[in-house]
Amino acid sequence: MSKLLEIALGIVTGIGGFLEAGSLATAAQAGATFGFQLAWAIGLGIICIAFLIEMAGRFAAVSRHTLPDAMRERFGIRFFLVPLVAVGLVSFLVLASEIGGVCLALQFASGIGFQWWALPVAALVWLFLWKGTFGMVEKGASLLGLVTLAFVVGAFRLDPPVGQVAARLLPSLPQQDSAKYWFMAVSIIGASVSPYLFYFYSAGAVEDGWDVSYLGINRLVAGLGMTFGGVVAIAVLVCAAMVLHPLGIQVSRYEQIPLILVTPLGRTGFVLFIASLAIACFGAALEIALQLSYLAAQGFGWRWGENLRPREAARFTLVYTVCLPLAGLVIVTGIDPLKLTVFSMALTALSLPVTVVPLLVLMNDPTYLGERTNGWLSNAAVLAVGFVACVVALVAIPLQLMGS
Amino acid sequence: MELGLAVLDQQVVDRHDRMMGKVDGLVLETRPGEPARVTHIVVGGTTLLWRIHRGLARWVERRRGTDGRPDLIPWSRVLRVGVDVKVDVDSSRSPALHWERWVRDHVIGRIPGA
Repeated sequence: MSKLLEIALGIVTGIGGFLEAGSLATAAQAGATFGFQLAWAIGLGIICIAFLIEMAGRFAAVSRHTLPDAMRERFGIRFFLVPLVAVGLVSFLVLASEIGGVCLALQFASGIGFQWWALPVAALVWLFLWKGTFGMVEKGASLLGLVTLAFVVGAFRLDPPVGQVAARLLPSLPQQDSAKYWFMAVSIIGASVSPYLFYFYSAGAVEDGWDVSYLGINRLVAGLGMTFGGVVAIAVLVCAAMVLHPLGIQVSRYEQIPLILVTPLGRTGFVLFIASLAIACFGAALEIALQLSYLAAQGFGWRWGENLRPREAARFTLVYTVCLPLAGLVIVTGIDPLKLTVFSMALTALSLPVTVVPLLVLMNDPTYLGERTNGWLSNAAVLAVGFVACVVALVAIPLQLMGS
Repeated sequence: MELGLAVLDQQVVDRHDRMMGKVDGLVLETRPGEPARVTHIVVGGTTLLWRIHRGLARWVERRRGTDGRPDLIPWSRVLRVGVDVKVDVDSSRSPALHWERWVRDHVIGRIPGA
């Protein structure tokens, strides 16, 4: 495949794969509650995830190690257990949220309550992983995910004050409701910086056999893919800010969210909203379930690979075969998928130091990267966002729990 | 000796480059007046559990009987130490893959299309 095509495909993957339950729910909620004011949190999240994705790809291309493999080797089993458990738990909650997102889309489409869809959806995700190959999961899901560009169209149709939106890319203090404001801000950052994203990306780079000749592609794909992907998330925020904020509707109940596309695009908007939600969440569920398998297999040295037949990588297959029905059962209980999603995102932000610092240690280790270790800028950017998000989450999560 | 200790927790592949686990433990030989020497690398079994929690490892060992013993691979069978540790072993017969085979035969292999 020509390099140009690979770059294009990588960027398309970034755009189509960016939106999932977390980024959609947090951006819609933030727009409805605070107008354009939280646009900066999306911007900050994008910068951070672009750096992390670039690092994960560079690490795989130079060292030929996956992240869990290198972490176990570098830190030993006892310390490795900390990021393993943190990433595993957070990813599991996010998996349940994504299944919940698909179920909500099906509820909007059919009128049948979301709980009823949870196990069929989990089974369908499982079937795709059982039968599919890595390329199909990664490229297929994100190509279909391009339907989420409907939010960009919707945002332009609503004719937003572009200057005001751009001005909000700089952080500002809330005028009222500060506990909610900061909780929303960390949830947005958590949604952008989900660890499954860079673990999955690193596993993919090793699965595709990247070497140092991919470093340029990697940098372009990480930078442009994430930036354009972030534009979709900002479009969701703009739609919610234009449609729901003036009406005083706060997205506490999910039934109101489709309005953000119905207002600019009418009946088509409703269909596009359902398709976006279903496809984005389904694609993310595929990636997260697969990533849980990668995490365990690469950490414990089991045979792994989505391109192998299930029986050739039995324990690897077993992990997603067990996790998917369990995540489906979380939704069967009738827990509010929107609350679960936003809460999982805040928890992701809280766990950032544990998931990101081990990565940074590896990225600065010349035994793995030779002369291609991190520069000061990427270290500083990721550390600063990670720690600030964690500290704010530490304060905001209890306040939010007490408030609701 | 230096090299021997460095391989702890590295990926192990067999002579056909098939993954067979991690270097979960090492067997050291001490001789009076000389530095200790790595004689075997240990893969699988409860070796890893011993390094995480002794009580849990003891409990598992009492229950599991003779299933899933660790594979002790002599250092002389280590072919190459690079990104992975390559050993001159056929993993399809290694006890290190006991649970991989068990899951294949009793769970995954029973689902149609596996």
